[in-house]
Amino acid sequence: MTFVDFLNLLIAALLLAGIYAVMSVGMTVIYGVMKIVNLAHAGFMMMGAYFAYELYQRLHLDPILAALLAFPFFFLVGVAVHWLLVRWLPHSDRPTLQSLLLMFGLWLVLQNIGYLIWGNTDRSILSPRTLALVHLGPIIISSLRLVVFVAAAGCMAVLEIALSRTWFGRSVRALIQNRYAGRIVGVDDEKTARLTFGMGIAFAGVAGALLATLYSFDPDFGRPFLLRAFVIIVLGGLESVSGVALGALILALVETFSILFVPASYQPAISFALLVVVLVVLPGGIAGLWAKRRRLA
Amino acid sequence: MTTAVFAPSRLEARARLVLPGLLLVVLALLPTAGLTPNLIRLLFITFVWVTASLGWNLLGGFTGQVSFGFAVFYGLGAYTAALMIDRGVNPYLSFLGAALIPALASFFIGLPTFRLRGPYFAIATIGVSEATRVIMNNLAITGGASGFRIVEHRPFRQVDHYYTALAMAALAVAVSFLIQHSKFGMGLRAIKQDEEAAADLGVNPYAYKLAIHAVAAALTGMAGGVFARYAAFIYPQGVFSFQTSVYILLMPVIGGIGTVWGAVLGGVVFGMVEEQLVANFPQIHLLLYGSLLILIILAEPDGLAGLLGKLFRRLRTPR
Amino acid sequence: MATPILEVEKLTKYFGGLAAVKDVSFAVPEQHIYGFIGPNGAGKTTLFNMIAGALEPSAGHIRSRGKDVTGHRPFSLVKSGIARTHQIVCPFRAMTVLENVQVAAHFGRKNITRTAAARDHARQVLAWVGLDHQADTLAANISLGDQKRLELARALATDPELLLCDEICGGLNPKETRAMLDLLERIRQNGTTIMYVEHDVKAIMAVCDHVMVLNYGQKLAEGKPEEIQNDPAVIEAYLGKAGSQKKGSRPVA
Repeated sequence: MTFVDFLNLLIAALLLAGIYAVMSVGMTVIYGVMKIVNLAHAGFMMMGAYFAYELYQRLHLDPILAALLAFPFFFLVGVAVHWLLVRWLPHSDRPTLQSLLLMFGLWLVLQNIGYLIWGNTDRSILSPRTLALVHLGPIIISSLRLVVFVAAAGCMAVLEIALSRTWFGRSVRALIQNRYAGRIVGVDDEKTARLTFGMGIAFAGVAGALLATLYSFDPDFGRPFLLRAFVIIVLGGLESVSGVALGALILALVETFSILFVPASYQPAISFALLVVVLVVLPGGIAGLWAKRRRLA
Repeated sequence: MTTAVFAPSRLEARARLVLPGLLLVVLALLPTAGLTPNLIRLLFITFVWVTASLGWNLLGGFTGQVSFGFAVFYGLGAYTAALMIDRGVNPYLSFLGAALIPALASFFIGLPTFRLRGPYFAIATIGVSEATRVIMNNLAITGGASGFRIVEHRPFRQVDHYYTALAMAALAVAVSFLIQHSKFGMGLRAIKQDEEAAADLGVNPYAYKLAIHAVAAALTGMAGGVFARYAAFIYPQGVFSFQTSVYILLMPVIGGIGTVWGAVLGGVVFGMVEEQLVANFPQIHLLLYGSLLILIILAEPDGLAGLLGKLFRRLRTPR
Repeated sequence: MATPILEVEKLTKYFGGLAAVKDVSFAVPEQHIYGFIGPNGAGKTTLFNMIAGALEPSAGHIRSRGKDVTGHRPFSLVKSGIARTHQIVCPFRAMTVLENVQVAAHFGRKNITRTAAARDHARQVLAWVGLDHQADTLAANISLGDQKRLELARALATDPELLLCDEICGGLNPKETRAMLDLLERIRQNGTTIMYVEHDVKAIMAVCDHVMVLNYGQKLAEGKPEEIQNDPAVIEAYLGKAGSQKKGSRPVA
């Protein structure tokens, strides 16, 4: 492998990491605030993909613009789902079996709705941008991936600002740290939960729409990405947006460079293999590694 | 005083054995009563599902560890039995293999994934399931995407399938009850409610989870093996599919998670309706299961068994 | 004096860069009630959690009857005869009171396999702590006082040589506290050694043979209750807070 090949792969990995981060962060905030593992995330990613597809097919909207429109749309969907289903779950400071199974049931329903509307044929979004390339000397970058990365990075930046500068962000961080204490100092946990759920689903929708510009999809589209999101969360820890970004980067690097060593038919198992390695070698995730370092110092 | 306390409960324990025993006798006599081959087949499939459902329930219901990866054990059991029968091994011996190989695999899966708690374990099992399917689909021994045809060299009767499956389901029920009413079962219940507190009282949660995972894998694998012999043709995308995992999870949850009869009921309902559902509503059968799951979680977490229990109690006390 | 039932040597725990417990050493003689007091954040609970196996020490050693048990997990400590109660009770809420204790009887040092035998043992322990009337009630449905008793009953049913009690009287009224302290005294007379952390200094002084004062993660003083009560350093740091506040010179980190 030449150095240029290496650079090309490195850049591809970086660009992939952006979308991976957006894909995982929605699960992270919902878990942090509500202690719910949102398996339906996969279903909403799939819906996000078809959302962009329909806007592109029917209204000839730019898919990237469609992805950004997915944010408000899926935010409202998330708030509605919270109002209809999630708020009836028994409250708990720990993840419960019920919440896990409820979200799983919702995923099944979403998936079936996907099959009903769009059938099980593979779809993809082919825009003029799909095959365009940017040349930087010997380095070749897919311009679509670059645009997707910029959109993803923008989403992450907006999230970071929302969490650090707004009333909502302060409530979210308070509840992530200590739900009970948050309630005592007057955080409206119902309202925060509702908005958080909306935001988590909004990120799922955006991630799905962005992914749809890169990959073909069917109604079972979300599952492999749900797994990746999970691996990222385990890698990066649950505490912070930057942890998610780090986890996303690691997974993207491993996946991108693994094409050099692992046959393509085994590619879907890469993320899981990484998970096993992490669990066996670093039970506390990357965050655990830092903690150990500190203790030795 | 002690005898006064214990005598009725011992009687009750005997009474509890009477009903299942009677049920077993009736089911054993059914094929001689001139049932249609189609009904026999439906019962056979029901027994297979009931066994898998009980297997999942040991880990998910008794111990509170939800797994989306039981297709791994079902598939491994199916392939173990298929390969052994194909090489001329006695089918009943091959079912033993179909229990042992998945039990062994459960250790390799459990050692890393049980480092994760609760829902994290659950998602990791989706990964296990995916990775296994990918690997199996690429192995020559499984026949890959084109599948594997089982050729059985010894003569046997169709009704043998029925009796094998019935015996297996009865075994699964017996194993479940024995575990439920033992020290082992008490440890599992403690882990389900509070792992730390259980450890403070001397329970080793990691070891116990690994142990029950193996028993659950053995039952589920055996179900896969018995089914494979009957089907005579299996392929990785079928037995190892995510859908198989989903079915195995849905049964005990719909029937009544954590109780033996709930898991049985879930398996029976599923076995009886699944084919009809797929035949009549191929478009929306996932939708129906998903909605049923949501409904049960929000309205009746104890499942159909809990619902029946409530009805029964209401009937017994008129006011 | 015979070999102490528990020896702790230079036990230390860092959280991040902060030492929650630093170089604490002591030995607990058999059949003593050994008390720990100290202001909030003095490191009492951290110290307890390390001895009970819930936290791994950063440095130092813990020996039980001469056997090194540093870093052992809680379930193996139970088998070596060390049991604990929690400040915040954590019963198995969906089990009856009897079943809660039955778990401990099964998996404790007695390691009872037969369920009937474990049940009998659990009943005896429940009667002994005065909770037998609640045996068949769900643990979620009993009062806080009873839940504290259940916490103690579960620990006792593991048949410990050394019992670690973390704020067993927290949240109880004076009458309940009195009864709980009597129970601790009975447990000791029955041959079990007790290590006792409590926020309420009066409770510690009333029941302990030996008291250690922790402050900012370090040993400030130890001795008999009456010695401790008269120790100037202890009065300065703990008992005499009001006095030092008047002078405007509260101890700082």
